[in-house]
Amino acid sequence: MTDLFQYVPGNSPLHRMNPVTKIFLTLCICVAAFLTDNLFFLLFLLAFDLLIGVVAGAARKAFTIFRGLVKVSLFLFVLQALFVRRGNRLFWIITDEGLLTAASVVLRLLVVCLPLALVLTVTQVSDIANAMVQVLHVPYAYAFTLTTAIRFIPQFMEEMSGIMEAQTARGVEFDSKNFVKKLGMLLPLCTPLLISSVRRTGATATAAEVRGFDLRTRTSGYKRYGFGLIDLAALIVSAALIAGAVLIS
Amino acid sequence: MIRAEHVSYSYHGAAQTVRDLSFHIEKGEFTAILGENGAGKTTAVKLIDGLLLPTSGRMLVNGLDTPKTRVSERARQVGYLFQNPDRQICKNTVREEIAFGLRAVWGKGEEEKINARTDELLDLFSFRGDEEPFSLSRGQRQQVALASTLAVKPAVLLLDEPTTGLDYRECTRIMEFIRALNEDEGTTVVMVCHDMEIVLDYARRALVMAGGALIGDGPVKEIFRDPALMERASLLPPQIVQIASSLGGEFARADDAETLSSMVARAAERRTV
Repeated sequence: MTDLFQYVPGNSPLHRMNPVTKIFLTLCICVAAFLTDNLFFLLFLLAFDLLIGVVAGAARKAFTIFRGLVKVSLFLFVLQALFVRRGNRLFWIITDEGLLTAASVVLRLLVVCLPLALVLTVTQVSDIANAMVQVLHVPYAYAFTLTTAIRFIPQFMEEMSGIMEAQTARGVEFDSKNFVKKLGMLLPLCTPLLISSVRRTGATATAAEVRGFDLRTRTSGYKRYGFGLIDLAALIVSAALIAGAVLIS
Repeated sequence: MIRAEHVSYSYHGAAQTVRDLSFHIEKGEFTAILGENGAGKTTAVKLIDGLLLPTSGRMLVNGLDTPKTRVSERARQVGYLFQNPDRQICKNTVREEIAFGLRAVWGKGEEEKINARTDELLDLFSFRGDEEPFSLSRGQRQQVALASTLAVKPAVLLLDEPTTGLDYRECTRIMEFIRALNEDEGTTVVMVCHDMEIVLDYARRALVMAGGALIGDGPVKEIFRDPALMERASLLPPQIVQIASSLGGEFARADDAETLSSMVARAAERRTV
């Protein structure tokens, strides 16, 4: 689970694409998903997401993320279907509009989350930061904050599983099959997790300072991030997705 | 007390981290698991605790097969002190921290008993109950973690590099507590440790691991006097054993009480004669 958001080296067109283009394409997919209510178009966007995973050579990872998201989505689907009361009643308290809303919410969640996870699979976090600074003129401190947050996700998850392991070993019933009971036990975990995160933040800040963090400017990066044909193609696809979403909705 | 029968384990279908591990640890033994990084020591200890379940073979603790008992239930019998105390500590005061483990194992209805035991441990470790664990030093936090592990009086104590990052005084204090438990209360201790001096001072038996397999098992001193085994495990014996081996003859089999200074004095005396 901890390696889900980690970079997978490769030479696919998506690996070669400018990191800024990748972020732009991802954002366009998200915007398109929110512009449309058409379930078929949302399904098309989902298929497009999975296709991106296949093209990036990370099909297995894309489907693993997809499977994980489907579990959350099912929970969300049930909640939406139960609480949206508009439309004609089909059975019990379930309405046709409730089901349609639930389906579109769930599909949106899948469409939006998948490319965000995939972009980290095909782009090194340092490249995202450097490209943001060079191309978008984002101050390095902000780019660093963003990428550090992303970089810490796997470490955070590893720390969480280590803490749960340690608490289980001292008798806290995390190995219980009762989900509600387990949920209540998560609260004491917040303290060690918060403390370790704050400590790590302090250590990271010190490490950055001693390596000349403040001296870094837009021109400090050695690697250049140019735009090529592949980026142009991605921009056209992005525009087409937005246009498609507007026209179809 | 602890019996491993051809235990193997691999993480998520990867190559086996632990291969065909078989050993038997009797009640009251003080055993060290030695080996270089990646040898499978921590995995072996987690297999004993049941945090990991064998992919093949059987791991029995007190006659119970680990997959058949939940780890949280086994916490009544098996205590586990992790290398990083901050993963164990989760309460705002030392008193609450010690009581937390007791409540998890003994249940919330035993408040009187829990308070009495907490007071006992606060006295033993000379802690103030209202101290904030996270404001203590690394060594003191490790002692808090040890105190809450010992609170339930486990029959087996598993220690995963308990002295890492501690200074000599803190390290000695922790190890003396553990020695007292082992000698006075008969607690079975299994310790993963990279400090060979500590192993020599406190453990009586050593299991040596390399590449996930058990390559040596015997009394600590005999293990340290086996240069071929030490080399296979990429380990260096403690200095005193190295000096004794270099001096050769009667020194190579120096007895338990031999210290570096007494050994040097004896060597000088022999030279004079």
